[in-house]
Amino acid sequence: MAHIADGILSLPVLSGASILAAAGVAYGLRQIDDRAIARISILSATFFAVSLVSVPVGPASVHLLLSALLGIILGPGIFLATVVALALQAVMFGFGGLTTLGVNTFNIAMPGFLVGVLVGPYIRRTHNVAGAAFAAALSAGLCVFLTGILVAMDLWLSSPDYIPVARIVLITYTPLAIGEALVCAAIVTFLKRANPDLLLPRLSSAGATT
Amino acid sequence: MISVLRWLAVLILLSSPASAHSLRVFATVSGEEVSGYGFFVGGGRPKGVSWNARMGEIEIASGTTDGNGGFRFRTPEPVSAEITVAINTGEGHVASRTLPARRFSASVDDAAGDIAIQSDVSRPLDDKNVQKPALVEAAIEAAVERQLAPLLERVEQMDARMRLTDVIASVCLILGIGGIVLWARGRRS
Repeated sequence: MAHIADGILSLPVLSGASILAAAGVAYGLRQIDDRAIARISILSATFFAVSLVSVPVGPASVHLLLSALLGIILGPGIFLATVVALALQAVMFGFGGLTTLGVNTFNIAMPGFLVGVLVGPYIRRTHNVAGAAFAAALSAGLCVFLTGILVAMDLWLSSPDYIPVARIVLITYTPLAIGEALVCAAIVTFLKRANPDLLLPRLSSAGATT
Repeated sequence: MISVLRWLAVLILLSSPASAHSLRVFATVSGEEVSGYGFFVGGGRPKGVSWNARMGEIEIASGTTDGNGGFRFRTPEPVSAEITVAINTGEGHVASRTLPARRFSASVDDAAGDIAIQSDVSRPLDDKNVQKPALVEAAIEAAVERQLAPLLERVEQMDARMRLTDVIASVCLILGIGGIVLWARGRRS
């Protein structure tokens, strides 16, 4: 759903979203350190592999995004992880496109980044594992719908012919949001119990929440 | 770290027979008719979703796909511009296929009929072929199109197929990029 192909979006939408995505990538690069590089690489590869597995739902097919998880674990590094994986998917398999790389990066990474900023601190701070898992699940579901809204806005701004139908969006995105929520909650639960430090984007300061 | 890599390996193996959800459109020309279908890379068809066909900027046909994600429509006379068939699943998946105008021959049926009549009277085609080379050419193009259609379909499917080696190579490339960046930072410091 989030891999918008070449030749569909208008130039203003492409350029605007690309600028925003580039700003996100630049911000991610400024925050990077050695620990973050290894984590971004592994989660970028994970996102790459996960988003290749699709499940037919309704008239379309969907795949996991893991954007909430990436946002919580990587913080602004989600932009780097996403752009690298999407670029390779476009080059190797023709999913999405190189001209829409910025749009697709923004659509996937921005909701995850926002969740990481808003919900991430609670998930990392709380000692209530169930509460953290619940917050992660809600965040993951929210990210799916935010990505869907961004995709719909891109298409709506580019051509009225391609406006997504709300009923179909709900039919296809709701199961995805539920699946994404379950996966994200399971991983956050595991990390909270096994090694909570892995949920910290940076270890440098005591707060370490961004 | 080991467990993460183990999960990554599982995901890669899962992704090999299944695949991602990129939507593609296959379309072929048969005389004055265009037919084809949409498909998701690796499996699945967009069933019961809207499609439309445009000749240049003019919409010439539209409808909803059948149970196999298929569509079919007749082209107008003459085909003056390229025809683009677009499938929109209604939830963000949009794909299109453009057929150049040269793939449509306005007189294919006429040419075929003309040659058939010639065959009936058991006269060599050469006389009229000389007079109507365009008709013969159109008939040949139509015959070639019919023969090539299965091949084009196969090529489209192979082009859209994901290969396990590509998936593994891409994952290793991502990890390798991380390693290169770490190495470069280590050298600088």
